[in-house]
Amino acid sequence: MADNRQISPGHRAGFTAKKNLGTGRLEPFLFTSFNTVFMVCLVIVTLYPFINTIAVSFNEGNDTIRGGIYLWPRQWTVQNYKAIFATGTIFDAFLVSVARTVISTLLNIFLTTMLAYTLSRREYVFRKFITVVFVLTMYFSAGLIPNYFLIKDLNLLNSFWVYIIPSMISAFNMIVIRTYIGTIPESLMESARIDGAGDFKIFMRVVFPLCKPVLATIALFVAVGAWNAWFDAFIYTSSKQHLSTLQYELMKLLSSTMNSNGNPNVSNGVGMDQDSARAMVTPLSIRAAITVVASVPILLVYPFMQKYFVVGLNVGSVKE
Amino acid sequence: MDETLEIDTVVRRPKKNRKKKKQPITWRLIKNQRQLIWMSVPLMLYIILFAYVPVWGWTMAFQNYKPAKSFGEQEWVGLKQFKFLFTDDNFIRVLRNTLAMGVINLILGFVTAIVLALLLNEIKKVFWKRTVQTISYLPHFLSWIIVTGIVATSLSINDGIVNIVLMKLHLIKEPILWLSEGKYFWGIVGASHVWKEVGWNTIIYLAAIASIDPALYEAAEIDGANRYKKMMYVTLPGIKATIVILMIMSIGHVLEAGFEVQYLLGNGLVVDWAETIDIFVLKYGLAQGNYSLATAGGIFKTVVSVTLLLMANGISKRLGEERLL
Amino acid sequence: MGGKLKVTYKYSLIALLSLSFTLSGCGGNNAATTGKAKEPASTESASANTGGKIEPFKVSAFIGVAGQQPTPDNKIYKKIKEETGASFDMEFLAGDINQKLGVMIAGQDYPDLMTGSTKLTAAGAYIPLEDLIEEHAPNLKAHYADYWNMMKDPNDGHIYILPNYGVYNGKVNSSWYSGPAFWIQKAVLKEFNYPKVKTLDQYFDLIEQYKAKYPKIDGSPTIGFEILNYDWKNWGLFNAPQHLIGHPNDGGVVVKDGVAEVFANKDYAKKYYQKLNEMNEKGIIDKETFVQNYDQYMAKLSSGTVLGMFDQHWNFNAAEDSLTTQNKIERTYVGLPLVYEESTKDHYRDLAVLNLNNGFGISINAKDPVKIIKLLDTLIQEDWQKLFSWGVEGEDYIVENGRFMRTQEQRDNAADATWQLGNKAKSLFEYLPKTEGSYSDGNSTDAAAQPEEYKAGLKPFDKEVLDAYGFNSYVDFFSEPPANPVYYPAWSIDLIEGSDAKIANTKLNELQTKFLPKAILAKPAEFDSVWADYTGQIEKANVKAYEDKINEQIKWRIENWSK
Repeated sequence: MADNRQISPGHRAGFTAKKNLGTGRLEPFLFTSFNTVFMVCLVIVTLYPFINTIAVSFNEGNDTIRGGIYLWPRQWTVQNYKAIFATGTIFDAFLVSVARTVISTLLNIFLTTMLAYTLSRREYVFRKFITVVFVLTMYFSAGLIPNYFLIKDLNLLNSFWVYIIPSMISAFNMIVIRTYIGTIPESLMESARIDGAGDFKIFMRVVFPLCKPVLATIALFVAVGAWNAWFDAFIYTSSKQHLSTLQYELMKLLSSTMNSNGNPNVSNGVGMDQDSARAMVTPLSIRAAITVVASVPILLVYPFMQKYFVVGLNVGSVKE
Repeated sequence: MDETLEIDTVVRRPKKNRKKKKQPITWRLIKNQRQLIWMSVPLMLYIILFAYVPVWGWTMAFQNYKPAKSFGEQEWVGLKQFKFLFTDDNFIRVLRNTLAMGVINLILGFVTAIVLALLLNEIKKVFWKRTVQTISYLPHFLSWIIVTGIVATSLSINDGIVNIVLMKLHLIKEPILWLSEGKYFWGIVGASHVWKEVGWNTIIYLAAIASIDPALYEAAEIDGANRYKKMMYVTLPGIKATIVILMIMSIGHVLEAGFEVQYLLGNGLVVDWAETIDIFVLKYGLAQGNYSLATAGGIFKTVVSVTLLLMANGISKRLGEERLL
Repeated sequence: MGGKLKVTYKYSLIALLSLSFTLSGCGGNNAATTGKAKEPASTESASANTGGKIEPFKVSAFIGVAGQQPTPDNKIYKKIKEETGASFDMEFLAGDINQKLGVMIAGQDYPDLMTGSTKLTAAGAYIPLEDLIEEHAPNLKAHYADYWNMMKDPNDGHIYILPNYGVYNGKVNSSWYSGPAFWIQKAVLKEFNYPKVKTLDQYFDLIEQYKAKYPKIDGSPTIGFEILNYDWKNWGLFNAPQHLIGHPNDGGVVVKDGVAEVFANKDYAKKYYQKLNEMNEKGIIDKETFVQNYDQYMAKLSSGTVLGMFDQHWNFNAAEDSLTTQNKIERTYVGLPLVYEESTKDHYRDLAVLNLNNGFGISINAKDPVKIIKLLDTLIQEDWQKLFSWGVEGEDYIVENGRFMRTQEQRDNAADATWQLGNKAKSLFEYLPKTEGSYSDGNSTDAAAQPEEYKAGLKPFDKEVLDAYGFNSYVDFFSEPPANPVYYPAWSIDLIEGSDAKIANTKLNELQTKFLPKAILAKPAEFDSVWADYTGQIEKANVKAYEDKINEQIKWRIENWSK
């Protein structure tokens, strides 16, 4: 507990000097009231759009056009959900999405943390160079077509692995983890080293376990990113139905019910009969139902991870 | 005194390492660090392959690129695409809008996320803390089209909630047509961003707060520190490293003001405030089948981003703060 | 150097080497390496289905718009498979078409059939079809006989794409007008005893009076006039002036005596916007009209409080459906072909034109184009056309005295998107060559246009309105369209991606989006100065490039399309 002993004396003085400024019991009460009111407002404001989306998703599509749906559907129906699940492709796509999310998350966590560990070692000779190489990737993109050629040349077109391999490490996540590792007391690693452990062992035995709180966060970021991704399916695997992901299927469903192809020439209504015109509704209700179907599975993941960082990990106690 | 606390608790790196900084690369050193090398160099090669190798595509910016032709058949046009970009009447305005909205998003995003994280941290009941946090990031999962739909409805002069509330509070006499005035537009975009992302952005700070040694709070409590002081002298310094690093990274992204929100909320009356570089490049690049212009726009943004990034990193270094590189 | 280190370096070297290979591979001749991409085995080597034996084959197709996969047991596709052997492997677009086409072209990754796109044509992605049709497709040849020259590509004279709409046969029944007009609530016409409304002034006069008399409808403030200009739906603001001087829809230009001019800055356009400015001053125009999005616009229309707007019918049809379900038939709309002067003949309604650059083309990657063209040739036959359009006799429609009809249940089914997935081949038929108008037995090719069907769907209030005017359907409000000029329509002219003409057009749209709302909302005294500013900016934009391109193509069409 060397660290704790070090800080205490100096700070005790600092706090005591200002102690008298505290205003007894009124202040905490005021603060708690303010905080509670603030949180209630926040909850209302951030919960509303989701409730609204759910309400719209259970409202009859034709009726939704009128607007004015807020917290509860006006004409209750499950038709919008039926329409989504009527497309038989959705279940397979769900499985593909789950698979890519799980694999991506596990791989990302391991590789990114390993890299972050090496780049947190101040003595490492290539530290600066590799850091720069990774950090810069956040700020440029080669563009769609060159990337397509790369994927094609690597034989990843129409392959499941195109969802995994190009995004195994994110520089942003690496930096976040590296920053976190920087707060782990060096003494822990030092003692392992004295016991004869190499860097890989130190990483696996000491650093990785200690990173749990930040890894929970990163896992969430990666999982949500992988879950929500649809662009790779659109560009790289769109001709293979069995590789389609949930988001991409929903995307297709959404745009098929919406006339989003902005060609003003079509606007002349060439050959348009009333049935086709009917199909060109902005599908507010379908869109809402799609949003719910797409986001609820991933939302369920979060509470499981939350315990790692809301409760907090007691670094001090690990040391003992 | 704060200084001591910070160094001891956050940047707990032994001083001795700092001396080694300028050591020459020797075989001996490489041999000693072979595990580190094995753990990182393959990953570097991987990222070079996936991020750097395709950068040959930047040559497109100097061509009149036609996807149907092979590399050898492309027509080279020098700086024509850049000229088109920089000499357009709208370019300065578009750049101004992008920067303005980028900076607003950056500052608002940071301040709100940190404040919210600190306030959430003050909720004593774990159950409530979790509930509030979970709810607060829900809007992150809604697409911009849904969020802007709700924003537009809320700002309407016919029973839009914003106007109703302001009228009830007697802050305004008659409903304001928010989306018709350029002067409100940046603010509306900023507020929409905060609304959608504040809860999500908080996650990372909460994780950082969670990793602060509870013994520090205990010690502070023994010293009689009140809630405010614990926040100022324990929590904030405890997450300072995270804040600084995220700040540096975001400064590099300031040109990423986006296009979806602006596109969905914009209209003819506010177009002079709403159009961003991304929208401009979409309109004259991709929508015209001009991939070269789109690439040129990308290169321009990269140059600005990296410059800003290095500046931010340098300033941070000068100030003795955490740095990225 | 220790042994281990050596090994390490060896491996690093190998890694680096392989990296540089990839590098050079990318920089090299992409078209050559990617040209023979592994396409999904599309047309298997089976020869044409001769001798009654049907051999199964697969056709891969790219549909350039969003669509939904039909269910695996879809009855129409099943029938196609049973009788022709063909099954379709369809890929629909969900996302940005420019991005998708960019990578498809760059990688030369094309399926067998692709819907029309000028980008793909320019990239040489389709094979010429003239000879194939001459040799193997007598039905298609007959189908397109009158349109042959129009189908040729302006750049090289080949036929690449088989237009999906615009080829008419027999009597064309039309009872539903899908195009542009000034729309007015039926209730307004009723209020003033069904007057004849011919000019813009008369129209706004009625709206003004009605609004003054009924400032609220169902408790909400009455809105006189809406102008939608959201995203690509810009015609509500842009297109009216050409119609007001009696011209048909040519997009952004008016063609007088074979010469096109941009009308956005002309005096006859100014007249319209000045009128709107005046109406705005009187509070007729919705205050929010220029900031609303499409959803908000539709919400207003379907609340029944909007008296009128300029729009295309299909764009707000859903709002009318909503009004009908709410039992507010009197709040649905009648389309009026307004003009400035009573003496001008209206030309809103036009004769259908060939839908150029739409429909299927066969890609250069297709292994067996003959088989595909034969398949398309089979599907243009009348039996198949009836199957696609009306469905299966007895199941999806009934025949009484030779006339095709539908029961209410069948009508409801036809409008149900989920039902369609299992029972219609909608997304395929949309792009196939098709017969429009009437079949040889006189039945309409489009169920909704069948006169019996139309009458059955008419509500009593509609009958009252139509009787008051002595019309059979709402289409009769419009003048019978004259024969189309040879070049018509100018809006279908391909401006060529990235050309000066296209850039000028984009600029022009930008200026209109920015200045027209300003002009309309300005104080009447300031209107002229805003207008001057606007026309000044248009002067600066290179609109001449745009006009020149249109005129060049009009000339080309006149030379090549004249029979």
